[in-house]
Amino acid sequence: MSIAEETRTQVAEIGEKYKYGFITDIEMERAPKGLSEDTVRYISAKKGEPEWMLEWRLGAFKRWQAMKEPKWARVHYPKIDYQNAYYYAAPKNTPLKQSLDEVDPKLLETYKKLGIPLHEQMALAGVAVDAVFDSVSVATTFKEKLNEAGVIFCPISEAIRDYPELVQKYLGSVVPVTDNFFATLNAAVFSDGTFVYVPKGVRCPMELSTYFRINASETGQFERTLIIADEGSYVSYLEGCTAPKRDENQLHAAVVELVALDNAEIKYSTVQNWYPGDENGVGGIYNFVTKRGDCRGRKSKISWTQVETGSAITWKYPSCILRGDDSVGEFYSIAIANHYQQADTGTKMIHLGANTKSRIISKGISAGKAQNTYRGLVSVYGKAKNARNYTQCDSLLMGADCGAHTVPYIESRNKTARIEHEATTSKIAEDQLFYCLARGIPQDEAVSLIVNGFCKEVLQQLPMEFAVEAQKLVGISLEGSVG
Amino acid sequence: MLEIKNLHVAVDGKEILKGLSLNIHAGQVHAIMGPNGSGKSTLSYVLAGRAGYDITEGSILYNGEDLGALAPEERAAKGVFLAMQYPVEIPGVTTMTFLKTALNSQRRARGESDLDAVGVLKLVRAKAKTLNVSEEMLKRALNVGFSGGEKKRLEILQMAIFEPKLAILDETDSGLDIDALRLVAEGVNALRDPSRAMLVITHYQRLLDYIVPDRIHVLARGRIVAEGGKELALELEAKGYEHIVGQAA
Amino acid sequence: MTALATRPIEARKAEAASVWQSHGVPHRRVEEWKYSDLKTALGEKGVGADLAEWRVASLPAGVEMFDLSLSNPPDWVKTHFAANTGNVMGAASLALSAGGVAFRVPKDAAIVAPLKLDFTGPGHVRGLLVLEEGASLTLVEGVGLSDFRNVGFEIALNARARLGHVRISPGAGNSVLVEEAFIRVAAGASYRGHFASFGSKLSRMELQIALEGEGAEAHLSGVSVLDDRRHSDVTSHVIHRHGNTNSTQLFKHVVGGRGQAVYQGKVTVAKGANGSDSSQTAKALLLGEAAEADLKPELEIFADDVKCAHGAAVGDLDAESLFYMRARGIPEAEARGLLLQAFLEDAIAEIAATDQRELVRTELLTALKGIA
Repeated sequence: MSIAEETRTQVAEIGEKYKYGFITDIEMERAPKGLSEDTVRYISAKKGEPEWMLEWRLGAFKRWQAMKEPKWARVHYPKIDYQNAYYYAAPKNTPLKQSLDEVDPKLLETYKKLGIPLHEQMALAGVAVDAVFDSVSVATTFKEKLNEAGVIFCPISEAIRDYPELVQKYLGSVVPVTDNFFATLNAAVFSDGTFVYVPKGVRCPMELSTYFRINASETGQFERTLIIADEGSYVSYLEGCTAPKRDENQLHAAVVELVALDNAEIKYSTVQNWYPGDENGVGGIYNFVTKRGDCRGRKSKISWTQVETGSAITWKYPSCILRGDDSVGEFYSIAIANHYQQADTGTKMIHLGANTKSRIISKGISAGKAQNTYRGLVSVYGKAKNARNYTQCDSLLMGADCGAHTVPYIESRNKTARIEHEATTSKIAEDQLFYCLARGIPQDEAVSLIVNGFCKEVLQQLPMEFAVEAQKLVGISLEGSVG
Repeated sequence: MLEIKNLHVAVDGKEILKGLSLNIHAGQVHAIMGPNGSGKSTLSYVLAGRAGYDITEGSILYNGEDLGALAPEERAAKGVFLAMQYPVEIPGVTTMTFLKTALNSQRRARGESDLDAVGVLKLVRAKAKTLNVSEEMLKRALNVGFSGGEKKRLEILQMAIFEPKLAILDETDSGLDIDALRLVAEGVNALRDPSRAMLVITHYQRLLDYIVPDRIHVLARGRIVAEGGKELALELEAKGYEHIVGQAA
Repeated sequence: MTALATRPIEARKAEAASVWQSHGVPHRRVEEWKYSDLKTALGEKGVGADLAEWRVASLPAGVEMFDLSLSNPPDWVKTHFAANTGNVMGAASLALSAGGVAFRVPKDAAIVAPLKLDFTGPGHVRGLLVLEEGASLTLVEGVGLSDFRNVGFEIALNARARLGHVRISPGAGNSVLVEEAFIRVAAGASYRGHFASFGSKLSRMELQIALEGEGAEAHLSGVSVLDDRRHSDVTSHVIHRHGNTNSTQLFKHVVGGRGQAVYQGKVTVAKGANGSDSSQTAKALLLGEAAEADLKPELEIFADDVKCAHGAAVGDLDAESLFYMRARGIPEAEARGLLLQAFLEDAIAEIAATDQRELVRTELLTALKGIA
């Protein structure tokens, strides 16, 4: 067998070893199965929401009932039965806690298994962690440090109660309720998520991070995140997820809205580690996410960095609306699809203001029988003078049974704009591998080395804490699979 | 011929030339030397009329006329020639086509009649020979695939063809070895004339061994900080810019 | 090349009719037509049922010809005609036309003089060109102005055949001109097509090219110079069905006024087609305040041992080059003209036949002069 073939075989053996496949045995409180107006009311009541929030949800639900699920070329999945799922699940004994000492020890053990030693994180990295456990935030830490700086970092349910003016002002302003099928569903039944507000001129003193975990059987995860960076502020937010092994496909339809005002900057990083389905394509998470950033202010900047290695089906296009003059949008992505995974991801950069800039670096790696599609849109509107875009889209194919596809849309309506797009497709060459082996580097490490080299530009964008995890993740997802 | 008075030039909003004054008469060769970032290229670009180089104060008079008010092609027609440090490559336009178009454009602007294809060819061939510019180079796209030396020789060939009154040579020696340098210098010296003025911009003294200037000006941080005869070049060579610039500060 | 004469022509036509029925006229909500709304451009009149005409301006000796409106087609027509029924506008032309013309170049015939074929008049019409093994030909296609014309053209290149194809679509304010070409390239055969377009109300050239055997090649190039409200769309799909096949695409657009240039180039490399090599370059220069360029170079790769690259760029003329020329005395307008010509030059250089290349170059110069 050639080296390439051998590594391909080894890749195929990866999947089952998903180390996060386990279930926590904790009593769950659930809404009745199915999705109706009552479900929406139930959720709103459980969260203790004010009337205006319930109305907002109900309005979204009505719209959703009239909408049709979108059909995407290249991403195929069995029809989702929306009535056959639970839309709200919270561990019974969990009102919000202020410190970890008050948290159910069984839950803490869960976190340990997930590899998130909260104590360690708190002590060493100084990262404020909001660990979301199946729809209800269990612990929110480091509140004091953030309070000092005036930064609000809390579960969205809390923000709805405590900062209603802020929420009302910005919620739904970047991803309108009617934006798309999954966003509308989210608007109706979102159960939790993160709210961040950074006041004028404040540089958020630490990286903000949230871990997700879907636990309960058949519970969809509908997180809603809203981050607002006021004038001259800066915040870096990290999002990472793990999920247990399941037979039924689980739906994840999150909405993330970012708003950057004049001279503000938001850095949003994601390391996605959902259960990808077993090697026969059974089980796994359906990940349909709407993420959008509005560079509302002059000289504002939003950058999206993501490493996606999980989920059976991924459908996400973190986008930037470059509204303010001189604003900047960036998208750095590594998307790995293995076994039977299907990924259709990319970004949209919408240039509206003058002198706006966007940069897209996408690295797609396909292995097994996976299909990996990059779908990008760079659109320069008529008034977007001097817009500048650079896109680099590279695909690495590992094996003869997978696919890598690139579908870029480049639309320009302003003559002073400059848009450049390049794409390449390649595989890890036998001679590259051989060179490493000949220098004493074992196979798996050689693959990891070469693939990490392929992804270097994107990995460099990740905040330090994540970069290490991301590199490991890339290695794990491709152990035995050669580029 | 050239009278620069208290010239302030800003590029992208940043002031680079901070009050430069200079006088050059016909028949003279002046040299501008200076450390990197002193504003040498800015001076050459503003004389040629490049967009983005804004005169914020002061004036440039060329034969009594305000040069700042003229478009680049108008300046060329009036006899201003800038030999660029990094000559641009223009794929799809052959050298010969370019030379013919430029020459006739300038002639037309001066009210002269066009030279026909044969005439241009004769003219170009004659001048090309002395500068070692081959027929083959003339057929190629302008500067595409040319070595550094070839690009510079082509710049001087253009100077020979257009016969400017004011020639500005921006770091013509950069990237050249001794032989190429000698060839280029010979070409330049052959064009010295009582009716012509030259402004030689260079970082190194070496070029001035071959193109001996009448006057040397040292440019540092946007201003002329020292002036002298050709001996100044040797002094700079021996003591470096720090010394001279430091003294003037 | 496998024979397709398994179903009679009538059956293929019926299939086309049903495809046409179920889809109807494409409009902007159909993904492939999002930048070229044919339905709106046609308005109420729709596609009509006229029969457009064809005219052979020059038929070189050695090339067989058959009028498709006649009965009893020869075997070579029966084998190749109406092989493609899936494409919507292609299906329309099959279902709605009763005529057209077919040509055949016999085995190993190397025809030097070009075949000059013009399509004129309103309505639908078909064309078929078959090159037998080892044959070679240059096809010069003329496009007459008309309110609406839809041409369905099929080309079959057998082993080692070589075809050079030049199509010039003249500038016209009101014409809606649509053509779909289905080209099959067998082992060792080569297709070289150049499409010069000066735009019209809606002008769409669709190319579906299948590289079916070892060493098959396709080289596409094109230039468009658009002004006023002129539109030009080249939509290509090159499929590397077999390994060790090669394709290149080079398209350059200069868009003035309120013109719109569209390029949708899809390259598919099928599973197992190892050793395939494909490159695509699409560039547009926008000169008009309301000019628009929409470029979508798409890659669909199912094999791993391939070399595929594509690049697309939209911008304006290089400021550095413009300054250089002006600093040497060339007035701005003339300098822009030279640079625009230079921009289009490498795409024109792809035309192998000298006469045609010069013709395209001349037309381009004229069009460039008129650009705002």
